Parts: sequence; structure tokens; C-alpha cells
Amino acid sequence: MKRADFPFLGFGVGLRRPHYSHIVERRPKVDWFEVVSENFMVAGGRAIEVLEDVRAHYPIVLHGVSMSLGSTDPLNRDYLKKLRDLAKRFDPAWISDHLCWTGVGGRNLHDLLPLPYTEEALSHVVTRIRRVQDTLERPMLIENVSSYLAFADSTMTEWEFIAEIAEQADCGILLDINNIFVSAFNHRFDPNEYLDAIPVERVVQYHLAGHSDHGTHLLDTHDHPVRDEVWALYERAIRRFGAVSALVEWDDNIPEFAVLMETADRARQIYDAAARTPTEQSLDANSTERTGKPALPADHRA
Amino acid sequence: MPTPLKELESLLYRLITAPSGVGEGLASERNLPRTGLGAIVLGDERLSAEERADIYANMYFYRLLDALKEDFPATRKVLGDDAFHNLVTGYLIEYPPTQPSVAECGRFLSRYLRDHPQSVDAPYLADIAALERATVEVFQGPDADALSAEAMRAIPADQWPALKLRLHPCVQVLDVEWRVADLLRAVEEGRDWQPAARGAAKIVVSRRSGRVRYRELEQSEYRAIDAARTGATFANICDLVAEHSGALDPVAELNRLLARWLSDAIFIV
Repeated sequence: MKRADFPFLGFGVGLRRPHYSHIVERRPKVDWFEVVSENFMVAGGRAIEVLEDVRAHYPIVLHGVSMSLGSTDPLNRDYLKKLRDLAKRFDPAWISDHLCWTGVGGRNLHDLLPLPYTEEALSHVVTRIRRVQDTLERPMLIENVSSYLAFADSTMTEWEFIAEIAEQADCGILLDINNIFVSAFNHRFDPNEYLDAIPVERVVQYHLAGHSDHGTHLLDTHDHPVRDEVWALYERAIRRFGAVSALVEWDDNIPEFAVLMETADRARQIYDAAARTPTEQSLDANSTERTGKPALPADHRA
Repeated sequence: MPTPLKELESLLYRLITAPSGVGEGLASERNLPRTGLGAIVLGDERLSAEERADIYANMYFYRLLDALKEDFPATRKVLGDDAFHNLVTGYLIEYPPTQPSVAECGRFLSRYLRDHPQSVDAPYLADIAALERATVEVFQGPDADALSAEAMRAIPADQWPALKLRLHPCVQVLDVEWRVADLLRAVEEGRDWQPAARGAAKIVVSRRSGRVRYRELEQSEYRAIDAARTGATFANICDLVAEHSGALDPVAELNRLLARWLSDAIFIV
């Protein structure tokens, strides 16, 4: 798997219920939408109707929250079948889920829990991603999560862990820039070191979101605007990874759609500006012509 | 020797879901190392291992509380915020989520309320929760083209008697002991609500143009809908309406009911 296997979609936003009518009626100028897979694993109704309409006019990707790749429970075959059926019906550009576990013992925590960065966990997750990709008959992306605890047993860093999993499982990476920032604060590591360790060709998508500051820790709440520090990290990521599709997530205190569009536009502007100011890193990272500008696919709408 | 992954996940699950928090959960753990959770989860001067686990415990509970608040606004309104919070605490102990979709977490709330002490003061709680849950299920129930007036008119009149009306696959008919439909409607419309009166009723929950609707069924139409479930023909349904409606003009009565059924998108053919 390499990034060139996936299209560059541009700058998108998450499809959320409060915006359904606006999107269907106004057809806003957004490059693409990311949809939460589980919200559409239903028999029918308004959600499916909206997704059919959205898919007819925009590229979409499916982003899951319950695959539980790191759980020691067996993979949920029924869930995977529903996901495969959903993908067959709506033809997403790709499918992603999180590098985490969401439950154990047949119970679901509906949260994204971190794994210990151990050889056992690595081997376990790699095996499961391969099985999932076989079932889905396509490569998937794994996303780094925000975390609030770390394990004493870990023998490697998070960035070493995710990079090694992506290599061994031959999957892509959805790099959540806000999650890197949040976890860097919570566990006192350098987010730049994280970015520098991620293999360039594996990164297919970014997430951008807001978080909340609780003094002792940051929480990945998706209920605030993207913070300036996260924008700065995003800009640095662009210089390293080049043309990567970016997506704005907003799940709580959801604002008017125009605010999401403005945020996606800001992501585009930062990308365009970064592309105009080359660095040694960007030239190395993109292996494009020596203008330093990342190669833009033909369907780029900027 | 690292803690096996399965053991680690099981421990964290128990701590995160401990009803009174991670501290209480830790107190009941028998196999923790002598150094406690800190031997497994790293703490620092900002947050101890227990406080870090507690972040997840809080997120677990409040995420599900928020989901249940959204799906059960009338149950919450009747109980009040504090009692609803306590209800959810107990509910999650008895019915912890097992499904990938958080929308499924309220599936058993009505059942849980049947024998709950809160139902002593408000015995209609289980019925109101059942109705609210039905609206969630119908909202995302299967699609099918509902029978419309136009489609009905397009069928030659001589074929109507043998016509088999089938229930739309997303439709639910609830059997309740309390008149809870008005209560839910009042809460949804932001009006003052009144406690539900005692009285057996059948409530049909259906969906039209993506919007869920519900209302009590009249006795004759309930019999008609019930018959349709088992393959009755339109002629059978006409007979049932004539027999049970008590209307002086059975044809007019049937026309009235048929208009409601079509409007509520209850049938397919």
C-alpha cells in the first residue's frame, strides 16, 4: 500500500446530523465528506437517504469508531460484514478506524482506549488489520488516538508502534494532528518527533479538530475551533507529508456549517502557503519537481 | 513480565465501569501488584495513574448518559436530571453496552424500568421509555415504498378485495398500559406535560419522509392492522372495520381510516 493508491480528496468536513438539511438543500462547496460508519449501519431511514444524496454529489470516506482493532475479543464478524456492505453500496475513497480498543468481554465502552506499545499488542493488531483488510477486500487506514494514560509495559513509543503496525499490516495512516498534540501534552513528548517518525508514504489523511484544556490534561472533545498550536503542527505535517487529504471534525457544540467550511478553507490556505514556501524537508518528502510544491492531483479544487 | 493484553484490557474495563469510580474499583481488585495501579498505568506529578483511569471512567459514563438523554427526553423530563443520572448509573450496571453503535445502548431501558423503584411514583415510565425507544428504532428502520393514495387509486377496483396490505417493515405497534403518547408529544413540543393516565392502548409508530410519527390506534384500526400482519386481504380488513368500529356508515369509516393509514405510511403492498 502506498499513498498513490488513494485519491487526493482535498479539504473536507465530517457529515453530522445537524447539517443534513443544509448539505442536501444547499450543496455547499466542500471537497469531500467523512461519515461515521456506525451511524449508517442501519436498515434505512433519513440517515441512509441523506448519505445517498451526499454520495451522489461528493466523494466520501467511511470512518469507524467501533472496529476495536486492539481488543482481545474476536473481531466482530457481523460488524465487518455490515461495514463491507456499506462500502459496497457507497463506494468510499477509503475506510478508516482507530488504533485502539473499545471494549472487551463482549462489552463496549464506546471510547477509544490506548494500547500498551508492546510486541504482543503489535503482533495482535497487525494480525487483525490483515484480517479486516481481507474481509473488506481493500486496504484500510488506522488513526492515532488521543490518550490520557500510558502503560508501564510499553517498550516503544507511540510513533514507533503505529509506524511499525502500518508497515507490517501494509495499511495506511490517518494522522490526527490534534490527537498528536493532545497526547504530546498529556504524556510530555515532542509532537515534532512524532511527525518525523511517521513514514511519509503511509499517510493518506489528516484529521483536524479542537480540544479542551483541563489544566492537568487536554481532552480531545471536538467541541472547539482548531487551536493555533494544532494549525502550526498541521503546517509542519504538510511540509513533511505533502499532498494529504485533510478533514475537519466537530462532534459537540456543533456550529453552523459555514464555520466548518471556514475551517476547511483555512486548512486549504495553510496547505497552499506551505506549498509556496519550500523547505528541504518538503523537497525530500515529496520527491516532486524541485519547486518544492507538493504534486497536486488533477482533481484538486483549490 | 508484561501484563498480558487480555488481562490488561479486562482490568481497565472493570475499573472504568466501576459504578462509583476507579477508586472503588481498585479496592475490589484482588490481583493488582502491591504497588497498585501505578505498576500498570504510568502516573506523574500532574495526574496519578488512578486519576488518568478516572478520565476514561468519566467519559464512559457521560458519553452514554448524553446518548440516553437524547433518546429518552420524556423519561428524563419525568424523572428530573438527578434521578435520570442515577437511573442510568444502575441501568449501565445491569445492561452494559454490547453493540458497536451507541444508538443501541438504550435498547433495554424500558425493561429495566419495569421493576425499578422510580416506577412506583411514576408507573408509566416503562411505557414512555418503550415509546421513545420505538421512535429511535423506527427512525432507522428498513426502507420500503409505503402505499400511497395514488398507488391505491392505480389499482383496479375489482382487485381491491383480494389486495393484501402488509405492514411497512419499519412500523411498530406498542401495547402499553398508560396513555403515554400525549406526554411524549408535550415534551417534544416543549409544552407542559401531564402524568400519563392509566389506560391500555395500542400505539402505532411509523415513519414518513424520514420523520417518525406516533399515535394511539382506535380499536377497529388496531384489529385491521393486526390482521394485515397475518396476511388478511383488503376485504377481510373491511369486514373487521365494519364489525368493530360501530360506525353507522362503515364505508365512510373505512375511507377515514384508510386516509389515516396512507398518511401515516403504515402499509405497503
